[in-house]
Amino acid sequence: MGAAVRGWSIRALLRDPLLHFLLIGLALFLLYGLVSPGEADSRRIVITQSQVDDMVRQYQSTWTHSPTPAEIRGLIDTYIHDEIVYREGLSMGLDKDDAVIKRRIRQKYELIAEEEDHSAPTDADLDAFLKAHPEEFLRPATVSFDQVYFDATTTSPEAVGTVRVALQKGANPATFGQPSMLPRHVTDGEIDLVGREFGDNFGKRVAIAPVDVWVGPLMSGIGVHLVRVSSRAPPVLPPLDQIRAAVEREWESDRRSRSSLDDYRRARTGYEIIIRAKMP
Amino acid sequence: MDRKIRLAGSLAAAAALIEGALYLAQARIVRPAGTPTGLMAASLAQEGGYLPDPNRKYPERVLWGDEHVHTGWSVDAGLAGATLTPEDAVRFARGEMVKSNTGQDARLQRPLDWIAVTDHSDAMGTVGELTGGNPEMMADPTVKRWHDMMGQGVAQATAATLELVRAQATRRMPKVLMDEKWVASAWQKTVDIMEKYNEPGKFTAFISYEWTSNAFTGENLHRNVIFRGNADTTRSLTPLTTWATGDPAALWAWLANYEKTTGGKVLAIPHNGNLSNGRMFEERQYDGKPLTKEWVEARARWEPLYELYQFKGLGEAHPALSPTDEFAGGELWDTGNLAGITKQQGMLKTEYWREALKSGMRLQRKLGTNPFKYGAAAGTDTHTGLSASEENNFWGKLRSSEPSPDRWEHLFQKEQSYVRKDWTLAAAGQMGVWATANTREAIWDAMKRRETYATTGPRITLRFFGGYNFGAADANADRIVSTGYAKGVPMGGDLKAARTGQVPTFLIAAMKDPMGANLDRVQIIKGWVDNAGKTHEAIFNILWSDPATRKLVGGKLPAVGDTVDLATATYKNSIGATELVGSFKDPTFDPGQRAFYYVRVLEIPTPRWTAYDAVKYRVKMGPEVPMKHQERAASSPIWYNPA
Repeated sequence: MGAAVRGWSIRALLRDPLLHFLLIGLALFLLYGLVSPGEADSRRIVITQSQVDDMVRQYQSTWTHSPTPAEIRGLIDTYIHDEIVYREGLSMGLDKDDAVIKRRIRQKYELIAEEEDHSAPTDADLDAFLKAHPEEFLRPATVSFDQVYFDATTTSPEAVGTVRVALQKGANPATFGQPSMLPRHVTDGEIDLVGREFGDNFGKRVAIAPVDVWVGPLMSGIGVHLVRVSSRAPPVLPPLDQIRAAVEREWESDRRSRSSLDDYRRARTGYEIIIRAKMP
Repeated sequence: MDRKIRLAGSLAAAAALIEGALYLAQARIVRPAGTPTGLMAASLAQEGGYLPDPNRKYPERVLWGDEHVHTGWSVDAGLAGATLTPEDAVRFARGEMVKSNTGQDARLQRPLDWIAVTDHSDAMGTVGELTGGNPEMMADPTVKRWHDMMGQGVAQATAATLELVRAQATRRMPKVLMDEKWVASAWQKTVDIMEKYNEPGKFTAFISYEWTSNAFTGENLHRNVIFRGNADTTRSLTPLTTWATGDPAALWAWLANYEKTTGGKVLAIPHNGNLSNGRMFEERQYDGKPLTKEWVEARARWEPLYELYQFKGLGEAHPALSPTDEFAGGELWDTGNLAGITKQQGMLKTEYWREALKSGMRLQRKLGTNPFKYGAAAGTDTHTGLSASEENNFWGKLRSSEPSPDRWEHLFQKEQSYVRKDWTLAAAGQMGVWATANTREAIWDAMKRRETYATTGPRITLRFFGGYNFGAADANADRIVSTGYAKGVPMGGDLKAARTGQVPTFLIAAMKDPMGANLDRVQIIKGWVDNAGKTHEAIFNILWSDPATRKLVGGKLPAVGDTVDLATATYKNSIGATELVGSFKDPTFDPGQRAFYYVRVLEIPTPRWTAYDAVKYRVKMGPEVPMKHQERAASSPIWYNPA
């Protein structure tokens, strides 16, 4: 053969990218043939004993009795039927653009993402979580106080003022005020519970009122009060070993809600999203 | 003292003084002539005052909760698009921010103290499989169709839910949804979640479910099943479904078997007799046979409480049965059963709590046990996982009734003879429990002894005692608790037969919700059986605001007034009382007649949730939509038992 065929030299041919591409393709094809189950296997359905055992177990849990031999043959037939139609359907592309299949796969995917990491948190994990979210684990501030109650609609402000002066001079508080279902004395009341019992604003006021002095009138959701705080304890962050169960619970809940979202965000960075539509 | 704290302290003192000065500067204080200023306490011996007895055992703080909550794990809720889980429901009840089923931020203004998540046992846990398109489920054409409808928007999803509710109610549920394997797995997960969130002393998460019998054609015979114990006595059981039978006696047998085999304790709370088309309190067995001694004993044994108030209407009383009760109307769902089959007038008689309380005593004369000795419970029956009964924070019944401008006119159900829209939902159902501690055991024990009351939402504090040794002076707010327990029985209790000349006296104290509306009045509602076996009721107005100007005329009291401004959805506490405390000695008492007494407290008129919606979304609703109401509390009764 001559050195050139219509201007194509062997060397030029060997340099042609198209040939490279074809050769690479051929190599891949041969490799695939060696390692893949091949066309023959995609048309072969093998039923193993363990698969049959699974079918029987499933049947038993549904119907609470064992399947008869005829029913077992029926289960196997159904399995084969499912499998063949499934494979035929896939080859026809029936899995594409089906909302049901998409949702099911998303559900499975998210479940895997959520449950992927089953490892129990270490002390360091929990400690770090506790430090990052102390507000979720604080033992609330508490307050002890005495209060004298007046019905705002029947008591004049002047009269309340007079009682305050008397109390400040050391008069016995039990001799003043009007009966009420509200407690006259609260011992170590959590601030938010005081707020729920007397009304929010009252809780906030008592939380910062000076100690050992009669102050007021303070308005609550019920009426008017003179108040003397006797002691107060600030919110405390308990050590981990006292609240381990709660920290573990919150850590897990946080991990669960983040993991599927994190996973989605990670995956999303690998996609280019183009919206060719009017965004509302 | 740390400088910062000292600084905060003086700022607080300054703030308090400023607030005080504002109060002192108030120019006008209304003080009716002749009212004592009351500055001097009535007595120096203040019980519960400065040195409360550390050993006293009675309940001191009412614990608020909801005994009826569904999440997306209930098949009807999930089908209607609810995705929130029991875990979300508990977190929301504890006061945490939760994303609602429509993606909105939801949070309670005040957390609950306890919750019972009661997902339907029938088809529990199937929704995840159904929405996910589980092939085993999709094989059923009906289930497949529901699945497809769910993907077609809220209206279709709601329609699918109603179809499912009807299918369940009329025993035409697809087989695959009845498979117990879904239930057992969802139940175990539920138990695990409740264990994680139950914190004795702080927050109680009950282990519970709903047994949802609808007889054969949608007659609501539902019961919430609430366990006292923990996972060790509940996790391995499979909740009873109604696939085999909807007979409540089957549930009682299951409860008895549960207690026998595990040593645990359990009770059941029926609800929505208003949707039972006469079957909730019918005086015959499920299969039509006459009542027996065993039957009435079982019902009394397992069912200490009845749910009076919830989203699907108020079940305390009905105007047709209680024509003299001017507050029996409002928030009634009395047009059909759960499947929308029209209610006949005669069915009302065996659907409402008060009538059942009366009938129960009549049956007791004949059968020896009162089968309807029901204390007061309340819950929301939310199907969103969001237990929200606040009018200005109402999260709806289904996903479709979560906040939106047009939710008021969404179709709830087309009944045979009535088109029910979402504006008919009541934002109702909080339950107060007088328990000695915030634990499963203590709250359950209080439920069992009926020391409970129901409200339509507001946190009204309510005490109620009965006894033979109370004097009028015992009706003192400072002392009522210690005196009440020492000399009488609390709400839910029993009075023994009166000795000659004895007449029971009742002590009542009601305090407004500290963050809510003032009180209009306190009533005692009495029911009794006469010597001929006929039942009667009477309503006594006993305490009310502005007594100087509001006088009883023929037993009736002038209305309290109305400060609601619908243009802004606000009201003023310039009318009504903050606390109402008093006693009642029954003028019609007959020692030979069986009777019950319960307290009802009414608030002044306030805006209904529809009014808040109308303002928030600037929508105009039809004239049929109520915009205000008087919210209320009803106590468990105290029963009088003649010799």
